[in-house]
Amino acid sequence: CGFTPAYAPGGPAAELQGAVRVDNPTDKNAFDLVERLEERIGRPDGPRYALGYTITTAPIGVGITTENAITRYNLTGSVDWGLTEIGSGRRVTGGKVQNFTSYSATGSTVAGLAAEEDAAFRLMRILADQIVTNLIASSSAWATP
Amino acid sequence: QGATVAFGGLQQDTSLPVEIQADQLAVNQADGSATFTGNVLVGQGEMRLSAGEVRVEYGPEGGSIERLHASGGVTLANKAEAAESVEAVYTIASGQVVMTGDVLLTQGQSALSGQKLVIDLKAGTGVMEGRVQTVFQPGGSVGGGAGSE
Amino acid sequence: AQQAATLVADSVAITGESTLVAQGNVEVFYQGRRVQAQRIIYNQAADSLSIEGPIVLKDDSGTFILADQAELSADLTQGVLTSARLVLNQQLQLAATEISRIGGRYTRLGRTVASSCQVCAENPTPLWEIRASQVVHDDVQRQIYFSDAQLRIAGMPVFWLPRLRMPDPRLTRASGVLTPSLRTTSGLGTGLKLPYFITLGDSRDLTLTPYVTTKGGRTLELRYRQAFSSGGIEVSGAWSRDELLPDDLRGHVLATGAFELPRDFDLTFRIEGVSDPAYYLDYGLPERDRLDSRVEVSRTRRNEHIEGRLIYFHSIRDGESNATLPSLVGDLTFHRRFSAGPLGGEAGLRLQTHSQYRSSTLPFDTDIDADTDADGRDMARASVRVDWRRNWVLPAGIVGTLLGEATADVYQITQDDIYDGTTTRLHGAAAMEFRWPWVRAGRGGAQHVVEPVAQLIWSPSSTEDLPNEDSALVEFDEGNLFSLNRFPGSDATERGTRANLGISWTRFDPAGWSLGLTAGRVIRTRDTAQFGGASGLDGQRSDWLVAMQLGLNGGLMMTNRVLFDDDLEVTKAELRMDLQRDDYGLAASYVRLMADPLESRDTPVSELTLDGRYRVTDFWTAKASSRYDVKADRTARAGVGLEFRNECMSVDLSLSRRFTSSTSVQPTTDFGLSVDLLGFGSGTAPGPSRRCGR
Repeated sequence: CGFTPAYAPGGPAAELQGAVRVDNPTDKNAFDLVERLEERIGRPDGPRYALGYTITTAPIGVGITTENAITRYNLTGSVDWGLTEIGSGRRVTGGKVQNFTSYSATGSTVAGLAAEEDAAFRLMRILADQIVTNLIASSSAWATP
Repeated sequence: QGATVAFGGLQQDTSLPVEIQADQLAVNQADGSATFTGNVLVGQGEMRLSAGEVRVEYGPEGGSIERLHASGGVTLANKAEAAESVEAVYTIASGQVVMTGDVLLTQGQSALSGQKLVIDLKAGTGVMEGRVQTVFQPGGSVGGGAGSE
Repeated sequence: AQQAATLVADSVAITGESTLVAQGNVEVFYQGRRVQAQRIIYNQAADSLSIEGPIVLKDDSGTFILADQAELSADLTQGVLTSARLVLNQQLQLAATEISRIGGRYTRLGRTVASSCQVCAENPTPLWEIRASQVVHDDVQRQIYFSDAQLRIAGMPVFWLPRLRMPDPRLTRASGVLTPSLRTTSGLGTGLKLPYFITLGDSRDLTLTPYVTTKGGRTLELRYRQAFSSGGIEVSGAWSRDELLPDDLRGHVLATGAFELPRDFDLTFRIEGVSDPAYYLDYGLPERDRLDSRVEVSRTRRNEHIEGRLIYFHSIRDGESNATLPSLVGDLTFHRRFSAGPLGGEAGLRLQTHSQYRSSTLPFDTDIDADTDADGRDMARASVRVDWRRNWVLPAGIVGTLLGEATADVYQITQDDIYDGTTTRLHGAAAMEFRWPWVRAGRGGAQHVVEPVAQLIWSPSSTEDLPNEDSALVEFDEGNLFSLNRFPGSDATERGTRANLGISWTRFDPAGWSLGLTAGRVIRTRDTAQFGGASGLDGQRSDWLVAMQLGLNGGLMMTNRVLFDDDLEVTKAELRMDLQRDDYGLAASYVRLMADPLESRDTPVSELTLDGRYRVTDFWTAKASSRYDVKADRTARAGVGLEFRNECMSVDLSLSRRFTSSTSVQPTTDFGLSVDLLGFGSGTAPGPSRRCGR
């Protein structure tokens, strides 16, 4: 049915592990994004590509009770990313991934604080996984051995 | 250099005698014209016209010069003005000088360049045509720039 | 020497009295100033130019004057133009019978009509115009001074002022009045806001906005900003007296700042306070029901994140007492990631201390608050976490991963009869993960990626003997489907032996749209009863997690996530949809949650919000928004708006009603109107302009 394992020898993504160096993070969100990307495609060793990214996030209050208390937030996030070939600087592929996670704000202040930070952490992991899926899907076009 | 001189300096009494000096002179009896070549210098009053070659046409009864054809890089100068061009035709009777080809008229700090300049020596006026470019010195205006040197 | 001026024309006549007459496409250039005309007479002795139109005089600052006839000095800085129009920044036009240029800086206009509106032959009256007996434009200060100014809307005189000063469109920063706006609310009545902006030197400014309303409301809003070489601060606040709370002074303050410290550290701080819970709603400020003042120092590098912060919480929520909530929280975090040397793969070390303080000193729970924690419990914690993982590409393209983490925590709890004392906890988890991504290039270039993932996790299943405060609100989504510990904080750690199973399928279409589906579930060897029902993670087998994302390149993005159990009972469902096109846009969100005492949510939540805009004509845009409480079958909030924007005016009308009410908050209706004349100061950019003769 036309499906081939991406990482099988000769497969499109066979060269992906360790081939990409993600740009340095400058804040906690970027730190988590880089951590997850490196978990999925390995830390760079002799990388041939550089991955640049711009992260934007925004919390939106939802679930407002009749007494006007904000009980939940949707943390929306998007990453504009681009993969360029190190050396030539040629842009190889890129795009924009978007998603959201949620956190409740009903428990104690400490619970709300931890929930808010965990939502940002999970959002970065979801967006990183979506970027890796994009890399795998497009790898046949650029990840020539 | 003193006060700016008005354009009127082009005015010229065209009845004065015309002297011509040159390295060589060739006379053509047939049509009664003479051709001076080599550092030709034509003088009339204070006006000087120099050119590579000047062909002089004399009047029907000979004697007085009717028209001068100057070519090979012409320079016309008197008092403060100087005009250069590739060719020039000076018709003595009408006092009209027509200069053509990369004409440049300089006067004090101003300069006009164009393709054709028609000077009326009697009236002291001139008309330049052919996408004329004029460079002049705005000066002496209140609060504008420095006064003219 | 003085720079020479250049005159170019089709023909130039040199007449007697030292004048030049230039005819045909005449242009004069001098020190950045340029004049174009049909005929110019340059009188060298008088050093003047008399010019016949149509004339365009332009100077290097983008200002230009159109006129029929003019007498100017040779350097174009001085003189009079008749039946002329001064155009500033291709936007604001001032037409006058006579314009005189003075010293290359001032332009004085006689009887003037000023407007930035498009004027067409078929209806010459502009939408708005300012008529004045005299106008002076100062090109250096970039100010326009009107005398005896009359504002007309569609030809109707509306407003008269003896003196009026307006900023030139290119002016970016100057003291002066900003655009006033009208606000009507049921609580405060109709009021006018008149902001006044004051520049205090190059790096500081202050905006004062008096706001007086018909129902005796008197407010002074203030915003102070200061920029430093290494950062900046902004303080905004307000003092109010009104009839809603007649006998006390109400108000709020919000101070924020950010500074760069040496060695790449950043310092940020935020201080916020409010006099009473309803203030934010009554005065249309962004709603917050928990005030969070904090100071934070942090640094992030490629493999290292260091963060230190101190937070002060103050809740203004009904029924919450600040004495029994942790109001002071202090954290220190040092997180380092590194390659694991001979072991290979990637490792991480995180050191963290956390402390929280409640002002109450009661070591037992009372019913002041709804939770069951001891009212006065204070806590301090120090934690170390080490993690490691390594990927192998196995035959047939399976990505095998070994991963694990170990944590050690020391808790020091005081003022709590049950948990007083020091408790240490050691915990860890080891896991194997197998990912097997498949790709297929479909017909027409569509790319499919299918990725089944299985994770087997071993961790001790001893019970927790610490109070769980920071890990009470647990979520279950694709972000933690495959994580070793789904608890957000440190007080609780996920225990027992379990398998996380999931599969994701994504289709990328060359036409630009994409569809993604993810499904997953957690299966445990036995029910560790660590999770509440609303999280979807309870029981031996968790709820099904199904997430879908559809993205069309026409501007649609929809993300939907659902948790349901085996008999399709929905535990949690959330959807966000955003459709943005040029002429219309719709944003929708839906959330549905079960009630769960563990999450201090005693009633289920089911809420739909809609936010739409529709461009009715090139200039009018209609907006509507609503927040509908499906559970209570009531609209919590509804709003409509109308926006008019053309090349010279923008009008913003908004009407919204909030129905929520509590002991401190009444339902209120809020009507807002703001009118902005475009073309003055560098305000909003001009909108589309009508084409004449259409």
